[in-house]
Amino acid sequence: MRDRDVTLELINGSNLGTGASALGTDAVAPGAVILRLSNISKFYSGVPALLNVSVEFYAGEVHAILGENGAGKSTLMNIISGALRPEVGEIEFDGRNIPAMSPETAALLGIAISFQHPAVLDDLSVLENFQVALPASLFAGKPAQDVARQAMDAVGLHLPLRTRCDDLTVAEKHLLEIAKALAIKPKVLILDEPTASLDQAGTDMLFGRIREVVKAGTSVIYITHRLAELRQIAQRVTVLRDGKLRGSSVVSKITDADLLGLIVGRTLGSAFPPKSPDGAKDINFAVESLSGAKFSDVSFDVSRGQIIGVAGVSGNGQSELMRALAGLQPSKGTIHLNGRSLASRDLLREAAFMPSDRHTEGLAGSLTVRENASFAALEKFATFGVLSRKTEMDLIGRTFKSLAVKAPSTEALVLSLSGGNQQKVVMARALLSEPGVIVADEPTQGVDVGARAEIYRILREVSNSGTPVIVNSSDAAELEGLCDQVIVMSRGRVVERLSGADVKEDRIVAAAVKAETHVGDSGVVAGAKSTGGGWRHFLQSDNAPAVPLALVTALLGLYVFAQNSNFLSAYNISNILLLATVLGFIALGQTVALLMGGIDLSVGPLAGFLVVVASFFINEGKSPWMIAAGFALMFGGALIVGAINGLLIRFANFTAIAATLAMYIGLQGMSFLLRNAPDGYISAAVVDVINTQIGPIPLAFVVLVAFALIGEYGLRNWRLGWQLRAAGSNEDSARRIGVRTDRTFVAGYIASSLLTACGAIVLMAQIGVGDPKQGASYTLSSITAVVLGGTSLRGGRGTFLGTVLGGVLLMEILNAVAFLGLSEQYQYLFQGALILVAAVIYSTVRRRTSA
Amino acid sequence: MSQAVDTTNGLMQRRTLLPYPLAKGFVTVAASLIVLIMISLVLAPSAVSLGALKGSLPFACLIALVGLGQLLVVQQGGFDLSVAGAVSLAVVVATHYPNGDNAQLLPAVLIAFGFALAAGVLNGFLVGFVKLNAVIATIGTNALLYGMVFVVSGGVPRITTPLLAGIAGGQTFGIPHAVFFLAAVLVVMTFVLKKTVIGRRFEAIGANPLAARAVGLNVRTHQMMAYVCAQLLCCLAGILLAGITREPTAFQGDPLLLPSVAVVVLGGTSLLGGRGFPISTVIAALFLNQLSQFALAVGVPYSAQTIIQALALGFGIAVYSVRWTSNTTKTATKED
Repeated sequence: MRDRDVTLELINGSNLGTGASALGTDAVAPGAVILRLSNISKFYSGVPALLNVSVEFYAGEVHAILGENGAGKSTLMNIISGALRPEVGEIEFDGRNIPAMSPETAALLGIAISFQHPAVLDDLSVLENFQVALPASLFAGKPAQDVARQAMDAVGLHLPLRTRCDDLTVAEKHLLEIAKALAIKPKVLILDEPTASLDQAGTDMLFGRIREVVKAGTSVIYITHRLAELRQIAQRVTVLRDGKLRGSSVVSKITDADLLGLIVGRTLGSAFPPKSPDGAKDINFAVESLSGAKFSDVSFDVSRGQIIGVAGVSGNGQSELMRALAGLQPSKGTIHLNGRSLASRDLLREAAFMPSDRHTEGLAGSLTVRENASFAALEKFATFGVLSRKTEMDLIGRTFKSLAVKAPSTEALVLSLSGGNQQKVVMARALLSEPGVIVADEPTQGVDVGARAEIYRILREVSNSGTPVIVNSSDAAELEGLCDQVIVMSRGRVVERLSGADVKEDRIVAAAVKAETHVGDSGVVAGAKSTGGGWRHFLQSDNAPAVPLALVTALLGLYVFAQNSNFLSAYNISNILLLATVLGFIALGQTVALLMGGIDLSVGPLAGFLVVVASFFINEGKSPWMIAAGFALMFGGALIVGAINGLLIRFANFTAIAATLAMYIGLQGMSFLLRNAPDGYISAAVVDVINTQIGPIPLAFVVLVAFALIGEYGLRNWRLGWQLRAAGSNEDSARRIGVRTDRTFVAGYIASSLLTACGAIVLMAQIGVGDPKQGASYTLSSITAVVLGGTSLRGGRGTFLGTVLGGVLLMEILNAVAFLGLSEQYQYLFQGALILVAAVIYSTVRRRTSA
Repeated sequence: MSQAVDTTNGLMQRRTLLPYPLAKGFVTVAASLIVLIMISLVLAPSAVSLGALKGSLPFACLIALVGLGQLLVVQQGGFDLSVAGAVSLAVVVATHYPNGDNAQLLPAVLIAFGFALAAGVLNGFLVGFVKLNAVIATIGTNALLYGMVFVVSGGVPRITTPLLAGIAGGQTFGIPHAVFFLAAVLVVMTFVLKKTVIGRRFEAIGANPLAARAVGLNVRTHQMMAYVCAQLLCCLAGILLAGITREPTAFQGDPLLLPSVAVVVLGGTSLLGGRGFPISTVIAALFLNQLSQFALAVGVPYSAQTIIQALALGFGIAVYSVRWTSNTTKTATKED
């Protein structure tokens, strides 16, 4: 580890000012300091991500932040935008000290951020993405379409506003993200690698916009890896490395070489094993013009005993290349291992993949060290499929010994190990499976210094033993020390090949940051997307299932009518609709839960419970006050139940199923506790009011439709509706754009319960008595109705109207079976077939449109 | 930094009496059961009398069997709501076809298992291959199974065959036969899960399907297997239930659905998938059963019993929720 003195010396050595104070007198006349960070430090479980960083940002200029991966750039931006709190340090905005920056405060102050991974919600339309992310004040007095259109025009994005963001290309999402940031006319605009996916035209357009806003006095903080861009757009540059400030300068006063000097030169502090001696050797792994998602035309050869490195700024196709080499992603081209040609499927078997994200793809967190090490090679410990514990322990013990894995016990949970030892467990698994090739994606990420040396040693040993090793790393110094050959990638293509003595950190970094190729998918050009007209949009919309549903409902009605004319009698219609009303209200509640990506199993018993509660108050001869109290108690009870569900799920770590299941059982018990047998007849006067009819249509059904319409409108036009869908669509993105997700989820479960209470009122009029056995079956039928209606169980997409239609169709079917003189079995068979067919159709359609 | 290079084996085999460390779920649920029994002994001795045990144990075994099936599905991060229909169908097939004739029992049992196999394959195909949400797929299958219940029986109950009543409802050495069936299933399941290649792969896939796929394991087939086995276990439970109950109705499986999930959760298995605890699940079934018996003996009405069960379930989840947080990363990645 370097200490602070060395850092200062390095800064001095490259003839830069030693700090921000030296910059005040620069030739570029800056505006006032708009944002000042002083001595910011941020630690992640004791490890510093930022240490004593002080930077000043001036109004009316572009300030670039440079640094390798893990230098602390993103952490710094998150601190400015309020997403993270620093442990130490102060943030001063426009001369005022901001003690606790939060996303809300940042938005109020006029700090806008365009994230590297756009916080764009896939399940919402383009327009809705603007509406949920931007403050309401921006839309005041103007049609929302105009505001959104204007913001998109500013970045040259031409999309129909109703397009679902699911259908956008990555470049379009980035432009949308930038458009959102620009739209609030920010005082400070943070752009985190905005050009990563843009082509040349998009980049030029963006730079034009940046120059405009800067002229208007905005301070732009521009994070990039590319020196060329920096020269084009930025006036000032600050370099971070290892979470520390390396230096700041006016761009015109610093050479590329000096900048490179600031970026590179991190001391690794770990020893590297000796490299493979030079000399011609047979090639054992050859890749020829391999292309796939995000990379194209990649070729390289690995000779026996050589380790090949893949370098580049992260996100330039390296990880996709690694996945393709591991057979996890389709690719075109040829791959030869020891002369054999391998297809993707062979690769999946032959290659041992060490993923960069150990926790998602490498380790089974709930299993032990032993189980994690062995699950790829179980057949090696087994005879006739039965494992021998001794063989397993022996082999694992031997492998662990050679890898020097340090674990308290083989039966310890794998997550209790340090990052380095976790990675060694992944390596042990790879080695135990005796792979044909090792594909290591960022093998030392999150690994401590000591363990790194070990990992380098192991990789070298594996390579020496004849297994080809391919390492992707964003750490150029590591590649210099470890690899015999390095290919540098930029925008999916190999831009430099280094071997032997040329494998040097500065050469690698220079190739990566100086590359100017723009192969990104076309953002601006493809703007001329087929607008297709309203019909196409309707097909993509959440309400699309309504048409086939209504059609099926009508056709079925006509068919049964042809068989039995009583089916469409006023009496029967009102009968079906009354039943559908109960189910409809409860299913509306279920829709809210599913929109949030959750589920509410407690709705059925809740409806039954509320009827039982009502049966104590809403009786014949009770005073109006008593009856009013009964209704109040129903809604009050629902409120409490919803709140408990929501709180358990959000704050006590219960899954939605677990929490609402416990509530389900509990509520059933409560019903039986209050009434052991049916009793407490509901006042006939109240029942009459609830069952009021307008012609053949029950009033309650009209109310249900009104609720659904209002809900439908609110879902798409009110902030609350966007927030609900945003939270269900992608909780993380929703939080980043300032949605208070916890509050939204709890409110959603309360809404679910309150709608169930509305259903309970109609149910009460139907059963007419407090019966503890009633209600529970509505849980499953409500889910059926919602699924029929076309709401996705993945959250974010749904429709109240469809739910009502689904409920009507379900009840119609049950009723039709009786009218057709069919036996009871058809009720179930039709129901089951309907839900499965609907689910399969919806999921296929969705997959196709999003493909 | 070089002193960190330690070439000695860093592993210290922990010396314990048992080859496996005791799982948290096992300790919790076993201790709860023991405490409950002790409380029963003091406050309501009739709840632990031989007669009470013999009467209620077969039903506890059925809950345990269905729970073990649910466990397999939960291990794959799924959920099987067709448990109710599966049990009901098995009950109906086992009573309706023989219609009291012992000779027809074996064919009926085979037909029941055939239905179970088909339902399991359907569930597994929809969830594993079509990637339907498990809740939707199994609700649909459940309705189809109930449809079959009425196709087979027309909703009219028939009296069980004497042979089945003897096999399922009888006792040997004073122990109800259901206990033997459960013990056999438990032994086989524990052995397969912990000691065979298939079982260990199954657990690894449940614990992290992405990691399992990255090493080339066949995730979809194993997921399908879970649903098939669950249906077969429900079928077994249903056939036993047909023997234990004299004249079973068409909806005999309904009351088993929620307990099947509850015992899985109480046994310490995470609803997010991964490692499963068959023994703890069985103990949890005994615990739930004993809880009802205890409540019954001290004169608590049926209603309060379910509230107690709900509280026990909520408490159980809360106890294990520490484990759950380490798993939450899985929920963050949306399955397509």
